[in-house]
Amino acid sequence: MAVSGSAASAREGGAAARRADSVWERAPERLRAGADAVRRLRAERGIHFAPVRHHSPACALAVRAAIEELRPAAVLIEGPEEFTRLIPDLLHEATRPPIAVLSLGGSGSASSAGDGDSGEGAGFYPLASFSPEWVALRAGHDVGAELAFVDRPFGERSAAEGALSGRAASGHGEGGADGGTGQGDTGQDDAARPDPFARTLMSERYLAHSEAIAALARRLGCRDHDEVWDQLFEARRSAELADWRTVFDDVFAWSALARLDYEESVLAADGSLDREARMAARVAETADRLAASPGGPVLVVTGAFHTLALVEALSGAPEGSAVRDRQPEGGFGPTAQGEAWLVRYDHERLDGLRGYGAGMPSPGYYERLHGAHLRELGLLDAAPDSGSGDPRGRSSARPAPTSRPAGPVGARALATEILVDVARGASGRGHAVSLPQVSSAAESATRLAELRERAYPCRTDLLDAVRSCYVQDDGGVGGPGEPERPLGLAVAEVFGGRSLGDVPPGSASPPLVRDVRERVRAVRLVIDDSVPRTARLDARRTAAHRAKRQVLALLDFVGAGFGQLVSGPDHVAGRGLGLITEEWQYCWTPLVEARLVEMVHLGATLEAVALARLYEAEERLAGTGTAAAVGAGAGAGAGTGGAASVDAVARLVAQALVIGMGSHLPRIVSLLRTTLDTDRDLDSVVSGARRLLGLWHARVELGAEEHAGELLDLVSQALATAAYLVDDLGKTRAEDEDAAIGTLIDLRSLLRDAASAGDSGSALGGAGGADGVGGANRTAVVRELARLRDEKSTAPAVAGALLALGFTDGEVPDDVLVTRVRGALTAGADPGTAVRFLGGAMRAAPDLILHTPEMFDAVDDALRALQGDAFLAVLPDLRRAFTWLRPTETHRLAQRVAERTGARVDQVDVRVALSEEDLAAGLALDRELAAVLERDGLAHWAGSGAADSTGGKA
Amino acid sequence: MTSTGTTTGTTAGTGIEHGGAIDAGTDPGAEIRPPAEIRYAGELATLDAWDTERGHERPPGWRLSPRAVRAFVVGSEELGVSRKFYGDDPLVDRAVVSLMGRQGLMLVGEPGTAKSMLSELLSAAVSGSSTLTVQGTAGTTEDHVRYSWNYALLVSEGPSERSLVPSPVCTGMREGRVVRFEEITRCAPEIQDTLVSILSEKQLMVPELGPDARVAARPGFTVIATANLKDRGVHEMSAALKRRFSFETVAPVRDRAFEIELVQRQLEAELGPGSGSGGDRPEVPLDVLEVLVTVFQDLRTGSTREGAPVKRPETVMSTAEAVNVAVAASLEARYLGDGTVTAAEVARQIAGVALKGEEEDARRLRHYVDNVVRERARNDKRWKAFFTAAEPLWR
Repeated sequence: MAVSGSAASAREGGAAARRADSVWERAPERLRAGADAVRRLRAERGIHFAPVRHHSPACALAVRAAIEELRPAAVLIEGPEEFTRLIPDLLHEATRPPIAVLSLGGSGSASSAGDGDSGEGAGFYPLASFSPEWVALRAGHDVGAELAFVDRPFGERSAAEGALSGRAASGHGEGGADGGTGQGDTGQDDAARPDPFARTLMSERYLAHSEAIAALARRLGCRDHDEVWDQLFEARRSAELADWRTVFDDVFAWSALARLDYEESVLAADGSLDREARMAARVAETADRLAASPGGPVLVVTGAFHTLALVEALSGAPEGSAVRDRQPEGGFGPTAQGEAWLVRYDHERLDGLRGYGAGMPSPGYYERLHGAHLRELGLLDAAPDSGSGDPRGRSSARPAPTSRPAGPVGARALATEILVDVARGASGRGHAVSLPQVSSAAESATRLAELRERAYPCRTDLLDAVRSCYVQDDGGVGGPGEPERPLGLAVAEVFGGRSLGDVPPGSASPPLVRDVRERVRAVRLVIDDSVPRTARLDARRTAAHRAKRQVLALLDFVGAGFGQLVSGPDHVAGRGLGLITEEWQYCWTPLVEARLVEMVHLGATLEAVALARLYEAEERLAGTGTAAAVGAGAGAGAGTGGAASVDAVARLVAQALVIGMGSHLPRIVSLLRTTLDTDRDLDSVVSGARRLLGLWHARVELGAEEHAGELLDLVSQALATAAYLVDDLGKTRAEDEDAAIGTLIDLRSLLRDAASAGDSGSALGGAGGADGVGGANRTAVVRELARLRDEKSTAPAVAGALLALGFTDGEVPDDVLVTRVRGALTAGADPGTAVRFLGGAMRAAPDLILHTPEMFDAVDDALRALQGDAFLAVLPDLRRAFTWLRPTETHRLAQRVAERTGARVDQVDVRVALSEEDLAAGLALDRELAAVLERDGLAHWAGSGAADSTGGKA
Repeated sequence: MTSTGTTTGTTAGTGIEHGGAIDAGTDPGAEIRPPAEIRYAGELATLDAWDTERGHERPPGWRLSPRAVRAFVVGSEELGVSRKFYGDDPLVDRAVVSLMGRQGLMLVGEPGTAKSMLSELLSAAVSGSSTLTVQGTAGTTEDHVRYSWNYALLVSEGPSERSLVPSPVCTGMREGRVVRFEEITRCAPEIQDTLVSILSEKQLMVPELGPDARVAARPGFTVIATANLKDRGVHEMSAALKRRFSFETVAPVRDRAFEIELVQRQLEAELGPGSGSGGDRPEVPLDVLEVLVTVFQDLRTGSTREGAPVKRPETVMSTAEAVNVAVAASLEARYLGDGTVTAAEVARQIAGVALKGEEEDARRLRHYVDNVVRERARNDKRWKAFFTAAEPLWR
């Protein structure tokens, strides 16, 4: 095959490959012509090509050397041309890689306001300190060159690739078979991908899947194309990399071989040719312009895969016609404009190994390698860390993230340092690595490098040395494809890296992102890296914690995906309110910035965005209203259409207070007041009132003391509404009785809580007082309940529950209870009604039957009096009524029954042991039944829950 | 290159031939399986010449340079050296480098992953011989690792150089050669630990010959041990011994196409070229091999390529076993059948060759045939043949 000549020469290692002339003699015809054209363009038009691999430190060093020697008048870089506008910000001294330029597709954010969280069409253009593109920008600026991005605008590109995405999945099916590297680099067609934003604009699918490079890997004994790259390029000594002509010649040959593997139709379909048309046109424009007013050479920094196409297009070669034909007659016109932002990026998403397809794997390692080369070349003095390729890049705004005094000089020293760091990381995680092991690993790495004819131990040599010397059993290192082990984690940490970049304050970063960063920093949450962290907060006692919680909650509310509440009181959902401390997990990923960028249209500050979201929610509530119907259907019948639910609005109140936006409460409060007038659902009113009362209890930790009075006032008003609505309970239909009793129990708790609410807070206004909240309204509710209890027409279960509760609260005397129970269960009564009554009573106060012998007798008598058929008819309900007892209570009841009937206890209180299989069988049956019901259009029979659970499967 | 022809013992009269007894001049065909250094004598000589020509540095005590050792194992088209170990080149690199270090090399892995072959190839390339071998069994004693005595001489002359019978380890130390310790985990841990001091101090004390008598290891001495994960595994090995070895895990082949190629090649090595290439053995068609390898891979990994779960049998479904099945199927077709190998022969042989009589395994295979194979047989002729032949076997 075509590759053989060059591959064989490459096999000889550095020396022969560098004899450029002889290499080209053995190359395929088209390649040789290309190499000639490169030379011609260089000599005749001053166009120099810097073919690079994205995120390759070797290429970065060569680019730097080229720029310093050539001192070009213009440096043109692959990357959507609208990014040119951002160059001043990229050059800003506070910009610290890794960063990325974020594009949000062609539409711009303003017009896509409606679906801001879809993430469609977002793309990252990541830049690390060791990215050739980054170095080109910085070094180009230093020599005063004109800088520009020249690729097709992202909007056009994204549209073209979007249309293709369906086909790309099948078209490159063969790629999946040759190993995991570099797969799925287009990203948007992979539904399983967890990170919708991590789509890179620097794809290198073609290199990963090239036949020629695969053949080269086989010949060189390399496991994949990444190692081939290491062997051929990264393994060169610092001084060799500074010899940029040779490096670029070789990179050109390497990638052109891969290019020859692909047919024009493939490259046309995925937009490569369109992009190359744009790049070639811009290069020609710039070169012609500079030729007119003699300025100097032009350096073109692009992914090496495109270089052959650009050269052919520019030199007029026949193969270049496909690209040239795509250039419009009158040129592409002025530089396209588009929305793009600078965001911080991290190593995790830069790592090709983790499937994001950004190019080279192990960014942590290559960043340090780049630093080691620079030190060796004397281009980087003992900088405080190896984080930045540019000594000026140290931002004064923040301290250096690591305390390493000075990095290793040269790649060989780096190798030892890496092995030591892995050993330390592993030891810290419980996998002890001894000093002799470290030294034997260093020795082993050196020998592996010698064996593989590399100038110094490269990435794979180090990884192999770790595998050889740090593993003392058969379990492997652990990591992708293997179970997680401490050593694997340490390797991932050292090779993957943890860096997170920084972008300058200014227009390049949307004000919202800046604001959020300041807010988050102000409360001392750590966002210098993208390591997940946990914050334990005691908001009740510590003001600083309160502030932290507020920011975390605020970001959670707007949907930034920054942190989440792991445990502790959740005032909005009303969970865990008794807990004192709360625990949040947070992590500042590029994703957070991307999400924030998507929200820029909502406002410039976090507060503004939150307010917009709050109003959005409020409008939704006010507009559509009836989320109310969720609870009991009782009373929610007629005349409630269009009204908001008290509970939902109260929830919004809670939300506003939790995120510290109490100042915007009045609007919501007034909504709540109107809702209280219109909501006809007692359950919603009661839940809302309880929520409000809960907020009042948490007023200190929420920093909402100033609203305490208002909250109590609202509770009081809710009580008044409840008093009015209580009557509806009496008319509950049989099937809604359960919910109604739930409401009733809640209402009773509300009354109790309200009665004690005012006591603790002394200086409360209006509604509160020594006597609790809303005294008169409370009395009204109690009165209404009493009336309902005595009303003949009250639904039997509700009546039973009211009676039981009244007895427990001491409002109903013993004799009344017994009379009523006997009355309800008397022989003449309808068994169904009687059992409903009993069920209500049992649910409201299950232990009543144990503590009140008269009630026990009454129930006993009533059950005995039942006819066989009637008994069977009510048995299911009856059975259910007794499930409210706790096991010990059931046992005591059984004892009573046994005494009464003369049976043994164990005959009455039978424990049924159910195994997991029984449960599974039951569930299966349940599902089947539900399916049958649904098929027959009777899904509502199964209850809403069952219908929901099967709905997805049906 | 010639065999080193070492004579390791002086135990004349026992009737057992020793390392040097098979003369290098003897026709290798007279032996079922000559050691690697004889089988590949030509390649070793080529590599030796290559080293000399290129001036490659050879570590002390080594016959070849590390680069040549690597080429011997993974092959080199350029030098006409065949590939002998497949699937994991970086592992070979690491192994070669480990041998240069102070530690021994421990190859661990499932049975049938070519650990012993790798150890044989490495010692043949490094030392020129692969015959200094201790076979680890439950009956291995310290004498096998250190030295023992010719008791007749011991009684008549007392302890002397002449009456001492050196173990392969002892010989390896004296002559600076690679010693292979096969199935080290089959030995009792106490016996394994005999190696600890040998590997760390590189000397063996012989107190019977006097207080200062010792065998000192010459450069080139090292130990390649193999350990089988299906047996007792390496967790019973003492930490002290573990520290003296570099561990390398040899994994089974995962790539299907590659395993098919491997089986094909081995088949050729065992039975000669197929009828298609002028040989007299029936050709095993590619699609039949595909069925065979797919079955092995499914059972080895515990799930099909489509992701359906499969019960993994206890028995080892290694590539070596797959080769055995292919060989047996060919023989059946040739001598008992109509001369064509079909999936049916494969199905029958899997039952005999791959199943080592475990009751539970038969059930697992039945489950596999009943579920996976039956499904595949619906629309694939080869699988249908497999299914028809296999179904009655596991009733």
